[in-house]
Amino acid sequence: MSGYIDGLGMVLQWGTLLAIAGGTLLGIIMGSLPGLTSAMAIALLLPVTFGMPPVAGIGMLLGALCGAGASGSIPAILLNIPGTPSSVATTFDGFPMAQKGEAGRALGLAIVASFFGGVASMVILSLLAPPIAEFALRFGPAEYFSLSIFGLVIIASVAGKSLLKGLIAGLIGFFISTIGTDPITGVGRFTFDELSLLTGVNLLPALIGLFAISQVLKDAFEYDPYERMKESAHRIDNARPLFVETLKHWKALLIGIASGSVVGPIPGAGGSIASLVAYDQTRRFSKTPEKFGKGYAPGVVSVESANNALLGGALIPTLALGIPGEAATAVLLGGLMIQGITPGPLLFADQSGTIYGIFLAYLVANFFMLLIMCLGIKLFIRVLMVPRKQLLAAILVFCFIGVYGVDGDVFNLYLMLGFGVLGYFLNRYDFGTAPVILGLILGPIAESNLRRGLQSFEGDWTPFFTRPISVTFLVIAAGLLALTLWQNYRSKHPRAT
Amino acid sequence: MERDIGKPLFNLFLMITSAIAFVVASGIPDFEIVGDLSPAFFPQLLSGLIFLLALPCLVKDVNEWRMAAGARSQSAGVSRKRSIAQWLFIILLLIGYIVSFEPLGYIASTALFTFVCVVGLAFVSGVWASLSAIERGKSLIATLVFALLLTLGIFYVFTELFNIPLPT
Repeated sequence: MSGYIDGLGMVLQWGTLLAIAGGTLLGIIMGSLPGLTSAMAIALLLPVTFGMPPVAGIGMLLGALCGAGASGSIPAILLNIPGTPSSVATTFDGFPMAQKGEAGRALGLAIVASFFGGVASMVILSLLAPPIAEFALRFGPAEYFSLSIFGLVIIASVAGKSLLKGLIAGLIGFFISTIGTDPITGVGRFTFDELSLLTGVNLLPALIGLFAISQVLKDAFEYDPYERMKESAHRIDNARPLFVETLKHWKALLIGIASGSVVGPIPGAGGSIASLVAYDQTRRFSKTPEKFGKGYAPGVVSVESANNALLGGALIPTLALGIPGEAATAVLLGGLMIQGITPGPLLFADQSGTIYGIFLAYLVANFFMLLIMCLGIKLFIRVLMVPRKQLLAAILVFCFIGVYGVDGDVFNLYLMLGFGVLGYFLNRYDFGTAPVILGLILGPIAESNLRRGLQSFEGDWTPFFTRPISVTFLVIAAGLLALTLWQNYRSKHPRAT
Repeated sequence: MERDIGKPLFNLFLMITSAIAFVVASGIPDFEIVGDLSPAFFPQLLSGLIFLLALPCLVKDVNEWRMAAGARSQSAGVSRKRSIAQWLFIILLLIGYIVSFEPLGYIASTALFTFVCVVGLAFVSGVWASLSAIERGKSLIATLVFALLLTLGIFYVFTELFNIPLPT
């Protein structure tokens, strides 16, 4: 309880509240723009959070995640274009509602369902994360090594379009993490007499390069000057939060929250799966399944509540174990580390005020999301009309100044560009960028714990394969690899019927 | 399926880079600590694994490339060339921005970068040629105003709100 009181004191400060509101606003704007992801929104905000207290900085990033999760519904409902991948299922009933002249009603339901989903997931997060972290306090070097390998394998298996490519991407990140001074002996590795590399590759230019610059390069490649975002023909005069009507669809709301909360902690599953599961289950439990896909309100409610319920679930392994489940939480984890916070069980033990402050900041972000979406819905629809050229230029300048501003090192700008180009090709050729970040973050944990463990076991490897928790992680990782390989094989060699 | 030589080439690039990294890692000095691994162990293991895993990807992508449809239509070829030009333009512009940032200072380099980015994209994408003289003039003035507002806005946010110094 004292952790919550300390956390509340950190959140209820003007600076923190402003930071959360600002992050939520930027997230809503980014989520409204098809093609721009929530991971990119967080990456862009990272430099801004540097000078802030941890709860304010992380609250800002969580606000961006929360806002982006909710506002993807705007283009999905009005234009049949999902703003984020998780909004794909919102188009199923949201757009038909808009075609029937109910765009405002669909938006009102989507906003309130997102809000309920977010609040419920915060409750689940605050209930489940502490006991998991407490359990993880038993971990020694062997367990941390196995956990890092487990995290890397699990994200590599699901992030890329092929298992091999996902693994390669993870290994690339792991390899890049070895650049700099060796953690045990102090020997320089791949530093090439460059002072900026002595402490290793800076995480900030890597995150901004992989998630923002690579996206801008993709947009530049695909930029079509003659393509104009069509203006929605649907009236949205009556867009306001519909609390009573959303609660009338309580069954859809609960299914959405349950789907998001269950799928969220599964690494790599992501928002699109949670929302599709929620939509499918709501239709299955409905007495009128034939109405789905024709502009039926419960379809919107379940999907949007699942989208935001997902985030709380995804934060459980991120905060309790330091293992993020997908791109956005991987960037968030990077943000935590840049703030000097090492996610994992010790965070709960040593900085309980900060961790509960982060939980409460996420709750507050949901309230800001509700408020800002209600007040500015018509403005955010105008965001869709922003010319792409100007947007690209603005994002590039922001990335550039953000990376330079942190320590005034021009070398980091080249690093950011290098990661941007690498990220562009990794995405283009189906490797994915999330495993690279995981490799960068988990690589040093895996290496230093393996070597520390080997030193304490006097060079004996067997404890890594005999300690129960350690071997469990390794067996699950090996099992997942085998399962993914089997699924790939079956999809290419379907059994003759 | 469209032919894309980039896929196998990227795998080849990964293999060559990882092979070079493996060789460079072998030059990392070793230290004897009881039970510990050499500082070169992980770099060599990882570069070796990347090389080995990229090999089947290369074989698969080369096969897919050989089996994919051959020549593109003329319009697709023009569109692809335009896309590559836009991509290269952004990369070169970013390098120019990095090089000029400290010598020119934040305000001049950023305003110039933003202006050239917006006008240059219009030029490279071919839309500039379709504009009348009056439209070009209007576009230049609007872009100039946008570049100045963006530059000064970001300058204010970083230097005044976040106390982050920028070169002037």
